[in-house]
Amino acid sequence: MKDKPALLKLASVSKAFGGVQALDDISFEFDAGLIMGLIGPNGAGKTTLFNVITGAYVPDSGAVSLDGIPIQGRRIQDIVHLGISRTFQNVELFESMSVIENIMVGRHVRTRSGFWSAITRVPAIRREEKALRERAQELLDFVGLADQADRRSGDLPFGWQRLLEIARALASDPKLLLLDEPAAGLNAVETGRLGELIGNIRDLGVTVMLVEHDMALTMSVCDQIIVLDQGCMLAEGLPREIQSNAAVMAAYLGNG
Amino acid sequence: MTPSLKKGVAYALACSAIAGIGLAATNPYHLQVMTFIGINSLLALGLNLLMGYAGQISLGHAAFYGIGAYTTAILTATYGLSPWLSLPMAVAAAALVAFLVGMPTLKLSGYYLGMGTLGFGMIAFIVFREWDGVTGGASGFVGIPPLAVGPLNLSSGRNYFYLVWGVLLVAILVCRRIIDSRTGRALRAIHDSENAARAVGVGTMHLKLQVFVFSAAVAALAGFLYAHYVSFISPGTFDFLMSVRMVTMVVIGGMASIWGAILGASLLTLLPEWLHAFSDLEMVVYGLIMMGVMIVMPQGLTRGILDLYERARERHER
Ligand SMILES: Nc1ncnc2c1ncn2[C@@H]1O[C@H](COP(=O)(O)OP(=O)(O)OP(=O)(O)O)[C@@H](O)[C@H]1O
Ligand SMILES: [Mg+2]
Repeated sequence: MKDKPALLKLASVSKAFGGVQALDDISFEFDAGLIMGLIGPNGAGKTTLFNVITGAYVPDSGAVSLDGIPIQGRRIQDIVHLGISRTFQNVELFESMSVIENIMVGRHVRTRSGFWSAITRVPAIRREEKALRERAQELLDFVGLADQADRRSGDLPFGWQRLLEIARALASDPKLLLLDEPAAGLNAVETGRLGELIGNIRDLGVTVMLVEHDMALTMSVCDQIIVLDQGCMLAEGLPREIQSNAAVMAAYLGNG
Repeated sequence: MTPSLKKGVAYALACSAIAGIGLAATNPYHLQVMTFIGINSLLALGLNLLMGYAGQISLGHAAFYGIGAYTTAILTATYGLSPWLSLPMAVAAAALVAFLVGMPTLKLSGYYLGMGTLGFGMIAFIVFREWDGVTGGASGFVGIPPLAVGPLNLSSGRNYFYLVWGVLLVAILVCRRIIDSRTGRALRAIHDSENAARAVGVGTMHLKLQVFVFSAAVAALAGFLYAHYVSFISPGTFDFLMSVRMVTMVVIGGMASIWGAILGASLLTLLPEWLHAFSDLEMVVYGLIMMGVMIVMPQGLTRGILDLYERARERHER
């Protein structure tokens, strides 16, 4: 028996949309400190799994827990507060807002100022605002966008938008960061840098779960990989085990 | 100049301009029109926070304007309460109604939210018109007392002008502060992507409800000022067309722009005054001007005028 609960644990999670069984009896768990890969052909249920973990969807059955705390059915904001954050497969920034403001909104659950304190501007709120801005700037430095702070985020080149979205997700001080195809649309150089960044995020103590179609990237950065196919768990193991798994290869060749 | 300094300078300029206008204006008609501009600006300002910043449409906001006006009318004229006591009650009444109406309707979005608020506005209008015993019904409510602070009577044209614009300037400051805060950023985030806002942990429903209630309270404040200024109110002032006029002020002035709210309110207040000369064709010319502005300046007057200025400066520099 382990003395500490797993960072993330799914027990028999299922989710269907009409006739489509997007997730079928998924169970796995992993500890903090890893980079966990999640792969599978198109429509396998990867994004749906992320939506279930973050609370955007409530599973039809099964349980999800973070550090032993059950989270299925909770409000998204409470789950973010407990320490899970995400990026989107199709970048979803607050486009009309500046780069640094995007990150400041990303820290919403760690700040407190409300309607009334905004109007009265008590000193505590000014201090919070200042600290927030400094923290946001640190995160921009971390992802390499230090000099873009005041630019309109919708005007950034696509590759930088991906980085900004990661910085925004980090702003809530997550324990677990879910990245949904962060390399999609990036060129080879950008993908290489993204691999380094993901390593740096893990070194900060943030556990990463990575959905990615770029196999070279996935195999090189992930410690463990889970394979989904048509809503079912097909395999789980080390990258080299997955690469030599016949069922995985068949799923990819059969569907891809 | 830093952005915040620029805003400070603009604000100081606006304050002195208003003080100057108040001193220079001698014609009571001019003062009256400018007082109405102030009241309408207040309406547009509150609605702009909801529409321009949070991206939620309301086609029933005249109801809150009316609730503010009728609540203070009933409390002061029928029950003899001091207006300064009825003010918080009028604002609270509108806020409470907004809370109850907002809870179910703000779950809707886009056209559906528009329809939901539209329906509410119509119900409110019918209540104003049909509840004869309390509101005076279709023939209106007479005898609303003027405002006074101790010996100072505020009912004179100049004093009321200063009162309305003073309230407006404070409201601008308050809105500015809300927009530049954590709450304001979250509102703009909802506007850009409600899905992403929810994903980073913004309680979108709660926040939309808050801003809806706030904008209703501002509209009720405008209704209070209106009622004690004109001393006679009737349901027609708070009908569906008024709701549309409020939305138009926000859109024409420029969404998500505080000064735009004032520009839009000014244009919509002044146009009918100027267009009297066209008599029968008044509404046609009015409509044509609205269409023209939106075709030439799709982002609204504020953005449009800024663009013209930039272009003129570039030409000058070449
Ligand atoms: N909101 C939804 N409503 C209906 N069906 C959905 C919904 N979301 C996902 N699905 C279906 O569930 C299945 C899994 O979709 P999901 O987006 O999770 O796949 P994915 O593994 O992320 O695929 P991709 O690699 O293309 O992103 C698909 O058949 C999809 O059509
Ligand atoms: Mg997906």
